[in-house]
Amino acid sequence: MKKIPLYLVLIAGALLSVAPYLMTLNAAFKTKQEILTSEPWALPANPILSNFGEVWSRYDFATFVVNSVIVAVAVTVGQLVFSTLAAYAFARLDFPGRDQLFWAYIATLMVPQIVTLVPTFIIVRELGLVDTHVGLILPFVFGFLMPYGVFLVRQYFKTIPESIEQAARIDGAGTWTILWRVMVPMAKPILGTLAIISFVNTWNNLLWPLIITHSESTRVITRGIAQMQSQFNQEYHLILAASTMALLPLVAVFLAFQRHIVRSIALSGMK
Amino acid sequence: MPQVPDTTPEKRPRLRTRAAVEAYAMLAPSILGFAVFLIAPIVIVVILSFYDWNLLSDPEFIGLENYRELAGDERALKSIGNTFYYVLLNIPAQTVLALLLALALNSKIKARNTFRVLYVLPWMAMPVALGVIWRWVFDPQYGALNRFLDLFGVDGAAWLTDSTWAMPVIASVNVWQFTGYTMLFFLAGLQAIPAQLYEAADVDGASPLYRFFKITLPLLRPAMLFVLITSVIGSFQVFDTIHVMTAGGPAGSTATLNYQIYLESFTQRNAGYASMLAVILFAIIALITLAQAAFFRKRTTYDFS
Repeated sequence: MKKIPLYLVLIAGALLSVAPYLMTLNAAFKTKQEILTSEPWALPANPILSNFGEVWSRYDFATFVVNSVIVAVAVTVGQLVFSTLAAYAFARLDFPGRDQLFWAYIATLMVPQIVTLVPTFIIVRELGLVDTHVGLILPFVFGFLMPYGVFLVRQYFKTIPESIEQAARIDGAGTWTILWRVMVPMAKPILGTLAIISFVNTWNNLLWPLIITHSESTRVITRGIAQMQSQFNQEYHLILAASTMALLPLVAVFLAFQRHIVRSIALSGMK
Repeated sequence: MPQVPDTTPEKRPRLRTRAAVEAYAMLAPSILGFAVFLIAPIVIVVILSFYDWNLLSDPEFIGLENYRELAGDERALKSIGNTFYYVLLNIPAQTVLALLLALALNSKIKARNTFRVLYVLPWMAMPVALGVIWRWVFDPQYGALNRFLDLFGVDGAAWLTDSTWAMPVIASVNVWQFTGYTMLFFLAGLQAIPAQLYEAADVDGASPLYRFFKITLPLLRPAMLFVLITSVIGSFQVFDTIHVMTAGGPAGSTATLNYQIYLESFTQRNAGYASMLAVILFAIIALITLAQAAFFRKRTTYDFS
C-alpha cells in the first residue's frame, strides 16, 4: 500500500516515455485535416494508409531505407572486425609504443564530431568520395566511432584470464587462431554491445550525411526526414508518417532484444 | 599468475620482433584510419584556425586574426553562453532524475523489467525523427502540449518561437531521451554495492537518508564520474534536435557553439573561422573533462573485490 504513490509516479513517467511514439503512430493513420482538428491522443475516426503511400511516392523513400541499411551494416561490420583486431593487440601483445598509442586513442574520445568535421570533409573530398556510399561509411568506421570500439573491446579482453590463451598456445595454436577461436567467442557480449552502439549511432546520425551527400541516390533516412521537415513543415501527415517508418525498425529491434540491449548498455559503462 | 616460459633467452629478441610485427599487422587498418580520420583532422583543424578560407580558393594565412575576431563576435560569444545554458538545464535534471529512477527500480517493485525497457526506449530513437515529433507536440496551435493545457484552461506558450522557452524545450527533449539510458549506469552501480554494508547500517539503526548519503552516494562515485563525463561531452554536441526544431532560432537563442560551427563551416563557408571555434569548443570540453576527473580522483575510492 505504501508503494502506491511510487507506482503512480513510475507509471506516469513510463507513459511520458512512450507517449510521443504512440501519438506519432496514431497520427500517421489520420487524414491531413484530422491531424489538425482532432486531439493528438484521440484515435483516428477512419484509419487510413494513404499517408505512407504518399511518402513512398513523393520521395524515393525506398532508396533512403536501402542507403541507411547499407551504411549502418557496413559500419557495424567494419567496427567489429577492425576494433577486435586492434583491441587484441592492445590487450595482449607486447610491442613498442603500445601504451602511448592506446592513450592517444583514449584522448580522442573527448573530441566531438563537429571539431574534426571540416578537415574530414576536406580529406574525403580529396579522396574523391563526396556523395558516395564509401564516403559515408569510411569516417564512421575509422574516425568518429573507432577509438570507442577499440577501448570497449580491449577492456573486455583484459578481463579474460590469460591462462585460457596459454593453454591454447601450448596446444600449438597461433595468435590468429587464438583470437578467432578463443577470444572472439568469449567476448560475444561486448561484441554484441559494440554492434548495437555502432548500428544505432550510424543509423541515427544526421550531421555527416548532411555534409557529404547531396543527391537522391545516396540519401539516407535522417537526411530525407530533415529535408521533408524543411520543405513541408506544416504537412504533419507526411512528416509524421515518415518519422513512424524511420522509428519503427529500431523500436522493433529494441523490443525483440530488449533484455540483451539493456544489459549491453550497462556493459558499455564498465571500466 | 605463473608465466609459462615461452622461449630460451637467446632466442627472445627475434621472437619479440616477430610479436611486434604481428601486433602492428593487426593494428594496421585501425592505425591507418586513426591517422587519416582522427589525427590528421585534429592537426588540420588547428592549422586552419590561423587561416581565412572559403573551402574553395587558396587558404590565406592570417595568424591570430580569427581568435582576435572572436572577442567582438557577439553571435559566437552568445553561442558559447547558449551552450553552457543548455548544459546547465540538461545535466542536473537528467542526472538527478536518472538517479532517482535507478533507486526506484532497484527496490523490490513489480514489473521492474517492463519499466526499465519503457524508460530506455527513447534512447535509441532517431533524433531527427524525434525533433520532428517534438516540434509537432510543441506546436502552439495543433500540438499535444497546448491542447492538453487547454483542458485545464491554461494558455500554452508559442514554445519554439519564443526565445525564452525555446532552449528549455530543446533541453527537455534531451532529458526525455537520455534519462532512462543514464539510469542504467546508476542501476549497474547500485547493484555492485555489497548488501552487507546496508545490513550493518540497519544494525546501527541508520535512517534511510543517512544510508543514501553515507553509503549509496559515495559508492556510486565511479558510475557518477562515467555518467557526468559522457553526458557533458554529449551535451556539447547536440545538433539534430536543434537543426530540426529551431535551426538555432528564434533570434539565435538556441544556436549552441556546436551549431554555430556547423553554420560557419557549411552555410557561411568560413572554414578558418569555424576551425577557430572548433578549437575553442575542444578546449572547453577538455578543461571540463579534466576538472571532473580531478574532482572525482581526489576523493577516496573503494575496493571490495
